[in-house]
Amino acid sequence: MSTRQTIRLTVNGKSYEREVEARLTLADFLRHELHLGGTHVGCEHGICGACTILIDGRSARACLTLAVQADGADIITVEGLRNRETGQLHPIQQAFVDAHGLQCGFCTPGFIMTTLELLGENPDPSDEEIKEALGGNLCRCTGYQSILDSVRLAARRLQSASAA
Amino acid sequence: MAFDIPTRSDQLPTDAPRFIGKAVNRIEDPALVSGTVEFIDNLSLPGMLHCAILRSPHPHARITGIDASTALALPGVEAVLTGDDVARWCDPCFTAPEGWGNTCLAVGKVRFVGEPVVAVAASSRYIAEDALELIQVCYELLAPVANPDAAMAPGAPLVFENRGTNVIQSRTYTWGEVDRIFADADRIVSRQFRWNRVGANPTETFGCICQWDLADNSLTCRGAYQTPRFMAIGRAASLRLPANKVRIISHAQGGGFGGKGGPRGTDIAALLSRKSGGRPVKYIEDRMEYLLAGGGQSWDRYYDAALAVKADGTVTGFKVRLVDDQGAGAEGYGTISAAKPLAAFTGNYRIEAAFYDLTLVATNRAPTYPYRGYGPPPHNLVLESLMDVAARELALDPAELRRRNYIRPDEFPYTVPSGNEYDSGNYAAVLDRVLELADYRALRETQAQARAEGRLVGIGVVSTVEPGVFDWNAYATVGVPGVGVPEGVKVAVDVFGNVTVAVGFNLQGQGQFTVAAQVVADYLGVDMNSVKVTTASTDVALPHFGQGGSRLGVAVTGAILGACDKLRQTFCRVVAHVMHAEPGQIELFNGRLQMKHAPEHGMSIAEVAGLMLSRSDLLPPGVEPCPEASFVWVSPNRNQPDDQGRCRSYLTAANATHVVQVEIDRCTGQVKILGYYIVDDCGTRLNPANVEGQLQGGVAQGVGAGLYEEYVYDPQCQPLVSTFVDYLVPTIHEVPMTVKDHLVTPSPVAPLGAKGCGEGAIHTTPAALLCAINDALAPLGLECRETPASPQRLWKLLHEQA
Ligand code: FES
Ligand code: FES
Repeated sequence: MSTRQTIRLTVNGKSYEREVEARLTLADFLRHELHLGGTHVGCEHGICGACTILIDGRSARACLTLAVQADGADIITVEGLRNRETGQLHPIQQAFVDAHGLQCGFCTPGFIMTTLELLGENPDPSDEEIKEALGGNLCRCTGYQSILDSVRLAARRLQSASAA
Repeated sequence: MAFDIPTRSDQLPTDAPRFIGKAVNRIEDPALVSGTVEFIDNLSLPGMLHCAILRSPHPHARITGIDASTALALPGVEAVLTGDDVARWCDPCFTAPEGWGNTCLAVGKVRFVGEPVVAVAASSRYIAEDALELIQVCYELLAPVANPDAAMAPGAPLVFENRGTNVIQSRTYTWGEVDRIFADADRIVSRQFRWNRVGANPTETFGCICQWDLADNSLTCRGAYQTPRFMAIGRAASLRLPANKVRIISHAQGGGFGGKGGPRGTDIAALLSRKSGGRPVKYIEDRMEYLLAGGGQSWDRYYDAALAVKADGTVTGFKVRLVDDQGAGAEGYGTISAAKPLAAFTGNYRIEAAFYDLTLVATNRAPTYPYRGYGPPPHNLVLESLMDVAARELALDPAELRRRNYIRPDEFPYTVPSGNEYDSGNYAAVLDRVLELADYRALRETQAQARAEGRLVGIGVVSTVEPGVFDWNAYATVGVPGVGVPEGVKVAVDVFGNVTVAVGFNLQGQGQFTVAAQVVADYLGVDMNSVKVTTASTDVALPHFGQGGSRLGVAVTGAILGACDKLRQTFCRVVAHVMHAEPGQIELFNGRLQMKHAPEHGMSIAEVAGLMLSRSDLLPPGVEPCPEASFVWVSPNRNQPDDQGRCRSYLTAANATHVVQVEIDRCTGQVKILGYYIVDDCGTRLNPANVEGQLQGGVAQGVGAGLYEEYVYDPQCQPLVSTFVDYLVPTIHEVPMTVKDHLVTPSPVAPLGAKGCGEGAIHTTPAALLCAINDALAPLGLECRETPASPQRLWKLLHEQA
């Protein structure tokens, strides 16, 4: 049961080397071993998207990934977005605040990480493209309208920032 | 001292509110978007153990033996809890009516699939789950009680043997001369409806960390608690502890909607802590546990209902017979949810007389719990569907039929037959505005065109009243005595003029911390940035309830205004003393305590607080050096119900009309929402962004309940839903982006004129969707009278007809 394995990985720019049980999920590893609690767990079966993180730039479900599968990976979690020194929010985070894109906020890190991937690939998405990208994230509070507004606002701001 | 709670924002001590009424950013959000909020599973305590629970695979069975010795021997396992411990240490939970409660682990027999049977505490959740696999439980199967008919059949097996029956409660309510009115009606429209179980499913499940202090015999529980004090009292009773030895520390929650449960998980973790020598024990419910047996299932209802109608469309009477499958007991207060419709039984209409026949039944399904709205969503679906049937029979437009029956603006305050008093409203104006917003005439034209092409397009126009600010008196007739639900806050000003508001509840998503900060900042004339809102644990908090019953935004506003008024009075005395004036000559305005007739003479809030805390020599006699005030708010003017349940229960009556256009795909049965329009009136909008978020979130849950979500059980009471693959929570693709507008008819009786607004949309959306679906089906002579109107259900309806 408890085969242990050493993994090396980078999370939010910081390198870690840890010995983990082979069966440990990446979500549990991030949350409870690295104390990065922003990656939330809403279902543990890959449906809700609350645990979405970026592994080597691609969105992934931390609940369906084993920590050992992340050996050698470069991971970004929601904690990696805010400016480390000033605490200033990432433009996507700020857009969610300004457009009231959250209520309880439990789903929000997942939506923000999915949005980060989307806007990296497609800086000016249409509403349909945004919905397509966010279709794998559940929110029980907002009814998605303000989330759609938040993503639009983030896209606009990021675009005008990169144009400037 | 008398206290002034302003019912209008122009009564605040400021020339213009800077925050109230504006969609200011929420103070809770920067931490939430950063992922740094301490949801309960983010917390670890030194020496903490982890709990896993073995649950019953059977709906009804006697437990004949449990062998947990191998599990206990597994390295890392610290304690195993069984029904024997529970029988020794625990009582069944409180219920209403009394005596239909389970203990946290099954004792002797199991009553539903997913009922906890054995619990383990181990050094990790992984090991705790390993241990579950080593436990042997022997069962002797009993015949399940699968549904209310089976439950009420003579000789039915009993879910609770000691009760001698499966009927938890059965009674009728008669309001007015119902028989005469039905006899005099020109037309009676009646139908049966089936509302299948749905549930809350917040994205965060329940979780807690409990620690039993063996020296002191006291208990501390940290967790996702929605109603902390209520939870503390319940735990004290079930765990046989003095209430002042149970401390609940409520953490921010990832949604609640009433359905967070908590009593069972808390009691189990508490007893495991007791059994493992006082180490803290964490229990995090997983989604499968939540879906099987968590605190989120709601409304499993069979309706038989009728309207009495005059030839001109006047609706005169409404009769409802409800049989509600409560599941295995009343532990979740599902009973209350069947009584709540009394607060707005006849909706927006001047219906003279009504009758309610209510039967609550125990079966071997999971127990039901509260879910947002707490009863009216199915009730309104019944009433509004019958209104549409009446409109069809009379060949009247459904909007027109509703308009003819609305309570008129000059009739408020209006007492409905079931006893509650509506404070204010203008229903016809709301209808007019939404019909204009939706371009109703154009919608009907596109519908006619679509029908000509053979497409199934329908429109729903549905009006509802949202009873806001609940009171216990609404539920007296199902076994909850009492009048008045307290909500207490403490407002404290520090020596630098910063303000701290201590409340008894924690975040759940509705933005109440922000509303609290808006109100206190406008009253005291300080910046919102200098306000901190914090949660007090139950051992020190003032009497409070927390979220529930579309109440907290209004209640916390009232409590803050009361506390601020107390502070104002004290500040006036202090300033009068140092300025050698009378307190009556001093006023608070725009953050300054100043001479009424010479406003240039005065002090800021910070200066007064600083003086009080550091210059006791300057204080007037009898004033403490304490620039703080507490206030516990209750709804004004509530009373005890009569024998038919009639009382002034909910303080406010918001209202809304939704217009929705749908198309049913003949090939798949799938409903597509073509357009969704809402006009609502919840009085003063303290933070319009919060209100719109509540509306849209309620629409999403209404779409789920109306079209997709269902806790499916097989005929043997086995749940067929255990993951989000089976239980279909709407995604961004299913939820319409609604077009909204609003009117404002302030409440004349509530703080700042605000009405409860957290539940209105889920009260309305399922009814609006079903009415639209039946409008689409009308040319085929078909009706759907069961929710959810899922693709499968509609396909079958269409297919069986063909
Ligand atoms: S927790 Fe990973 S998808 Fe739900
Ligand atoms: S904000 Fe609560 S689940 Fe999305």
